[in-house]
Amino acid sequence: MALSGMRGLSVFISDVRNCQNKEQERLRVDKELGNIRTRFKNEKGLSHYEKKKYVWKILYVHMLGYDVDFGHTETVSLISAPKYPEKQVGYIVTSCLLNENHDFLRIVINTVRNDIIGRNETFQCLALTMVGNIGGKEFSESLAPDVQKLLVSSSCRPLVRKKAALCLLRLYRKNPDVVNIDGWSDRMSQLLDERDLGVLTAVMSLFVALVSNNIEAYWNCLPKCVKILERLARNQDIPPEYTYYGIPSPWLQVKTMRALQYFPTIEDPNTRRALFEVLQRILMGTDVVKNVNKNNAAHAVLFEALALVMHLDAEKEMMSQCVALLGKFIAVREPNIRYLGLYCGNCLEENMTRMLLVSDVQDIIKRHQSQIITSLKDPDISIRRRALDLLYGMCDVTNAKDIVEELLQEVICDPHKLSTISLQYLNTAEFAMREELALKAAILAEKFAPDLSWYVDVILQLIDKAGDFVSDDIWYRVVQFVTNNEDLQPYAAAKAREYLEKPALHETMVKVSAYLLGEYSHLLAQRPGCSPKEIFTIISEKLPTVTTSTIAILLSTFAKILMHNHPSDPQLQEQIWSIFRKYESYIDVEIQQRSVEYFALSRKGTALMDVLAEMPKFPERQSALIKKTEDAEVDTAEQSAIRIRSLQQTSNALVVTDQRPANGSVPVSQLALVRMPSQNMEASSTHDQATSQDQINPQDREFSHQNGSVTAVVPQEVHPADLLGDLLGPLAIEGPPAPAVPAEHKDQNLLSTPEATPDAAGPLALATVDDQPNSVQPIANIAERFNALCLKDSGVLYEDSHIQIGIKAEWRSHHGRFVLFLGNKNTSPLVSVQAVILPPTHLKMELSLVPETIPPRAQVQCPLEVVNLRASRDLAVLDLSYKFGTAVVNVKLRIPAVLNKFLQPLSISAEEFFLQWKSLSGPPLKLQEVLRGVKPLPLSELANLFTSLRMAVIPGIDTNPNNLIICATFHSESTRAMLCLVSINLCSSDIRVETDPTDRTQLRITLGSGDPILTFELKECIKEHLVSIPMQAPTPGISPIQPQSPVTPAYNDPGAMLAGLL
Amino acid sequence: MFTMDWRAREQNTSFLGEILVVPEKGTRLVYKHLATLYFIFVFDNSENELAMLDLIQVFVETMDRCFKNVCELDIVFNFNKMHAIVDEIIFGGQVLETSSEQVMKAVEEISRLEKSSNSISFVPKAVSGRFGR
Repeated sequence: MALSGMRGLSVFISDVRNCQNKEQERLRVDKELGNIRTRFKNEKGLSHYEKKKYVWKILYVHMLGYDVDFGHTETVSLISAPKYPEKQVGYIVTSCLLNENHDFLRIVINTVRNDIIGRNETFQCLALTMVGNIGGKEFSESLAPDVQKLLVSSSCRPLVRKKAALCLLRLYRKNPDVVNIDGWSDRMSQLLDERDLGVLTAVMSLFVALVSNNIEAYWNCLPKCVKILERLARNQDIPPEYTYYGIPSPWLQVKTMRALQYFPTIEDPNTRRALFEVLQRILMGTDVVKNVNKNNAAHAVLFEALALVMHLDAEKEMMSQCVALLGKFIAVREPNIRYLGLYCGNCLEENMTRMLLVSDVQDIIKRHQSQIITSLKDPDISIRRRALDLLYGMCDVTNAKDIVEELLQEVICDPHKLSTISLQYLNTAEFAMREELALKAAILAEKFAPDLSWYVDVILQLIDKAGDFVSDDIWYRVVQFVTNNEDLQPYAAAKAREYLEKPALHETMVKVSAYLLGEYSHLLAQRPGCSPKEIFTIISEKLPTVTTSTIAILLSTFAKILMHNHPSDPQLQEQIWSIFRKYESYIDVEIQQRSVEYFALSRKGTALMDVLAEMPKFPERQSALIKKTEDAEVDTAEQSAIRIRSLQQTSNALVVTDQRPANGSVPVSQLALVRMPSQNMEASSTHDQATSQDQINPQDREFSHQNGSVTAVVPQEVHPADLLGDLLGPLAIEGPPAPAVPAEHKDQNLLSTPEATPDAAGPLALATVDDQPNSVQPIANIAERFNALCLKDSGVLYEDSHIQIGIKAEWRSHHGRFVLFLGNKNTSPLVSVQAVILPPTHLKMELSLVPETIPPRAQVQCPLEVVNLRASRDLAVLDLSYKFGTAVVNVKLRIPAVLNKFLQPLSISAEEFFLQWKSLSGPPLKLQEVLRGVKPLPLSELANLFTSLRMAVIPGIDTNPNNLIICATFHSESTRAMLCLVSINLCSSDIRVETDPTDRTQLRITLGSGDPILTFELKECIKEHLVSIPMQAPTPGISPIQPQSPVTPAYNDPGAMLAGLL
Repeated sequence: MFTMDWRAREQNTSFLGEILVVPEKGTRLVYKHLATLYFIFVFDNSENELAMLDLIQVFVETMDRCFKNVCELDIVFNFNKMHAIVDEIIFGGQVLETSSEQVMKAVEEISRLEKSSNSISFVPKAVSGRFGR
């Protein structure tokens, strides 16, 4: 089929294709554009045919990737042409060249509307297509009603109606108000009865978009979806052209099952049974066949069915069937199916954790471990990545060793293997993949290490063999780990010494080895080849070949060797000094500075000992590695059922890791003045000036002059979020590199009240140091943690030096599901762990079995199910006890299954609000109270508070801007039953909070609901959150001193407290 | 979206197998390589990967019917027709029609319309002048 009569266009295309190079092509294109430009400019009476031809040419040039900045007027004007061919060109090219914000589109909005409401169906199609592709908000406002009419019209052809459906979807996305929820749920339900499959497919897409934004409004459509599935999968009641390789419209089946995944559950037993029957049929009836296309289609349906089954918490039997199927897929040869099998395996495993079927599933997946490992070697990177994810997910104490070693092999041999094939493959994706392998191997090794030395072995091997793929965080972490585990130090140092023997060493390896030997080589002094002198020699050999950042570390190592050099070996001392002197004139300032300082320090004798003392332990905190993997998992796609699910699943690592540094109790040893191999050279430079003075004149290091103002040098904890600080933090005591500004700010605070500083701070600091408990004390305030969790759904509930308990909750009408994450922070197990839940009468709670022992550094997850029977503010308590060594710890923790968790924000219109409001006639259904002593919050924060209480603040109903209208539904088993005449499971409650603009501590609250108990309880609940709870000081032991101190706020900061000591 | 990504990916010819599924930050990419043609669909996680692969197949089959053994020249020289076909299958990023018979019917109707009005010859100049700017 040639182009109808446009020879000029064909000639132009041939010309462009015949160009020998890009330059020629550009010339040809420029010539053509010049020609078109003149034609458009000069000849006003250009025929529609010519215009059409030129516009096609412009589109072609645009597709070649050139900018075309003219011709838009002509293109757009073609839309108004009376004949089909011109109109078609106008619409198609406009869709391609312009976007929704283009001004030219305004010109044609009326023409487009006329085409849509006109009688010509082909014009309608063109107009709908353009609006569906680039229609913006203005189109949405002016065209939505007409498009809706087309969609529901019985006289329109399916061709038009299906386009209208998708066009409406676009308009809805641009402006959700165009679809009025009230009328639409019934209309949608009718549309889902559609017989024509083309229209039905389009309608289903529209339905998915609508339902993803408002599930509640479309419950009535649920049975219809099941009917569609029955029609397709069971009855096969469709015209032959919609059968794709023998499968009844796989797309519609898939879309329908997607739509069903938005509904949290299916309550009607008949619908549920019918659906499971269909799903069962799909699960049973799919086999791997020869025809690729048939295979794809069948498995598309099958995977969607699997996802739906998992979503619906099916019976155990069906679940096992799914798991068995997955096992089959992982083993299958067809790459796409294997890929999805691995992917689904991941989802399944995470889902199962949610459904307490962990052990079953893990067993089955583990049975396929070797096949998954084989997939890790697949030539296809996507499959490798999925396999990695699955291995990472399924790893536990039992199989960690195998998996980590397998990953290690992969990181190590891959580059070699690939380079023999072709360098081209080593693209960014490959590189990133191997980095990820290294990272995950490191995390798993740490998490499940059977013994600590194995962990060190793995990481050092990783750095040695695949140093290019090992990010800095990995070696920071191993250093932290070794520093915190004394038993490990000689072993790690010896290992580092061994590695240094190797001829070609990766630079990262040089860094770790030098660092470890600097710290711990004295522990090896008795061993052969490990005298300070030998260590020095082998490390200094590396000096000429490494980069600046490594030189910095090596210099520190030398300084440390020098410190351990006693009885003094003058020769060694001279050698090290000569290196320091040599680097005094090095091109990099940081290196210069270090050399000068170390040299000066090392001549001070005993001062050197203090300054270069061994590194203190790092505070336990989130592994930066885990954080990194989490960051990488952030999803950017729009709302989808799968995404919502995946968000619910990432929780695993999240809670363990949120460990804060021990509360203000900085060990005294940290006060030793230590310089650290900092990589962050620029950032620390100003402070370094101060510190270098300190080091040279330690006797007057209290104050030093900086930038003309007197500044106390304040030791301070480094911000925990700082990656580098993770490792380097506590070292840079005299001048933190990271938060330079706040430190100075505080300094000024202190200085402005000099008389208060030493007195107030003295006892203070002592108090905290003494406070450092031998017995187990909670970290941070339990009550505060509880209060925070009343307003959010995940966080730390409790933490002490041995255990951390995180929770994560999901709420679905009157059901709730917590997962408790019990994390053992120690390197030895916690035993006799017992957790008992003491529920109040209004809650039904069920805690799954808590294991008696929590392995070292492991985390266990215990789901806790909650059903709300009626409104009450009573609280559930978790009675938890465990044994660590000889100490028995018992704590009673309130569980934040509070009243407001069973609320759901509801946005209603003004009319409806007033209707409901008036129908509630005074007490006890409607209550009013004036609250005093309210926390003075700005209105916006007040609104935020209600939002976090899970209530919707509805603007625009009350004209007074100082009043808030809030609305929510409350779910409980009893109110649902009680109110069943009005609506099935909801109980409306409307609350008005009126604020007096002059007095922020006083407000009047009026609220009502259909249930007097609920009204009262809700009022009290809100009161609790509004009336200021006396804020407890973070360190209650100190509070009596605080009033005397004018700089109270600063004492929340451990750094400021330490200031007093100096 | 479709055409744009097509262009961007054309330079990258280092694809390994015949069919691959490549995910990237929630965006998925499915492609199929048939003789001289590469088909690449980019979509988010609200779609099913295998179903998208099927859709490519429908697209190919439709073009095959249209051009009788489609090859890249058909597509290059009839890119305007391609637009019409794509518009009948994908609409504003959503699947519009999955039956290649139905797509063919629509495309044939369009061809018929194009031809019939071409034979009527050009539009009078007076009319075009009205929309000149």
